[in-house]
Amino acid sequence: MTYEPIWGSIIAWYLFLAGLGGGAFVTSVFIRFRHPECKKLIRVGHIIAPVVVIIGLCLLMADAFAGFMHPLRFALLLTNFGSVMTWGVVFLAVFVVVTLIVLIMDFMHKESPKWLDIVGMVMGICVAVYTGCLLGVCQGFPLWNNALLPVLFLVSAVSTGMAAVLLAGVFVAPDEFNTVVSLKKFHFWLPVVEIALVMALLFITAANPSQAGWDSVMTIICGNWAIAFWVLFIALGLVIPIVLEYWMLWFAGHEMETSRTGQMISGFSDLGVLVGGFVLRLLIVSAALPITIVQPWIF
Amino acid sequence: MMTRYGMLIDTTKCIGCYSCRTACQRQNDLLPDEGFIRYEHKETGTYPTVSVESVPLQCMHCEDAPCASVCPTGAAHMGADGIVEADQGRCIGCLYCMSACPYQVRVRNSKTGAVDKCRFCAVQTENGTTSCTCVEACPTHARIFGDLDDPNSELSKAIVERDAHPIAGDLTRAKIYYVR
Ligand code: SF4
Ligand code: SF4
Repeated sequence: MTYEPIWGSIIAWYLFLAGLGGGAFVTSVFIRFRHPECKKLIRVGHIIAPVVVIIGLCLLMADAFAGFMHPLRFALLLTNFGSVMTWGVVFLAVFVVVTLIVLIMDFMHKESPKWLDIVGMVMGICVAVYTGCLLGVCQGFPLWNNALLPVLFLVSAVSTGMAAVLLAGVFVAPDEFNTVVSLKKFHFWLPVVEIALVMALLFITAANPSQAGWDSVMTIICGNWAIAFWVLFIALGLVIPIVLEYWMLWFAGHEMETSRTGQMISGFSDLGVLVGGFVLRLLIVSAALPITIVQPWIF
Repeated sequence: MMTRYGMLIDTTKCIGCYSCRTACQRQNDLLPDEGFIRYEHKETGTYPTVSVESVPLQCMHCEDAPCASVCPTGAAHMGADGIVEADQGRCIGCLYCMSACPYQVRVRNSKTGAVDKCRFCAVQTENGTTSCTCVEACPTHARIFGDLDDPNSELSKAIVERDAHPIAGDLTRAKIYYVR
């Protein structure tokens, strides 16, 4: 029989937005630490973080139809602490509350206490790691059931969070955008690490004793998902941003880097990172095949 | 000793007639598109001497039930006598259990959005009540239901005699045994 993925694009959006929100808050803390004068960029991070996570949660609740019809059942989410999803709910709840408090303080022109920033940052990281563990504990799917996935999702989350803040910065705070060089340099390395992690994930999955591992990898690199993988994820989401940022940060002169054209080029690479981040979640959610369909014990 | 319900399915007897699936739908009042039993078919040989093995699959009532360990609401949980339950009133329909179950035997009710699966309703027939279960509906008697912890039950004896094993070895410690 053919296999229909259990989770669809809504879950991919949710995983993407949860990671993006966590990453955006990490970015705002990073900027506050390294470039405290960049108030506008910090605020951009503060706004993006709770907003995208709340959108993601709304998507998730609408997708969980039985709960949507009986909202009180969502309270039961806190009953099984052996479930990764229950932990995710805790991390997300704390994250949303903390980031909203920080955002309100920001709008009231008050400095949020350092410890609150740290709590938010840790929760942001937990949320990003949780999106990987959520899939990782499903032992029937070799593409998910490995310890690399949470790491990959974390790196991608921080990368997309930074890209979102920088992209918005190009338009709302072009001067500050030129200042945050250390953020850009840090951000440059994330897609590089991601390439290594994705390669490792695919090699390890393909080597899974079950045929399903090999088949999942083939669907991604030369099957139904090949175009999305090579064009949208690898090229647009990783290689082009690496090349453009490398050129901007180390080759182009200061003039070029800080010109409007230079900013637009950086903005384009950030947009690519965001598209790639979503496509990564979509690929991982949709292309995973379960060991039971190929059934080594039946065939 | 406690009761620990299990089942044996003899695929050498199964003719792939789908009687068990339809009987189950009637017994449990399922929607037309909702079935707790699904089938895999294995073809062997080359034309003209081909043989097809039909393997009915349903909830294995795993002792290490992955559905129950991932379910955030406790809707999927281990019930009494080793029967894994799917509490329709607690389920939010997140489908996490469907991703975690290695056998793809959980189904989403398209009306309520809650997830359901084989309830081992054959337990109701233990006291002699006749009903429309897969065990009774099977025209070739390919199915035996009973107590795994009772060495004298028809089930336990058949498992030993016919050398039956869970479909995926030790994975999840399943309680449905297959003769193949
Ligand atoms: S077979 Fe699937 S649904 Fe049944 S107990 Fe095992 S994991 Fe749960
Ligand atoms: S769909 Fe229902 S039974 Fe399955 S994990 Fe979610 S709440 Fe539990």
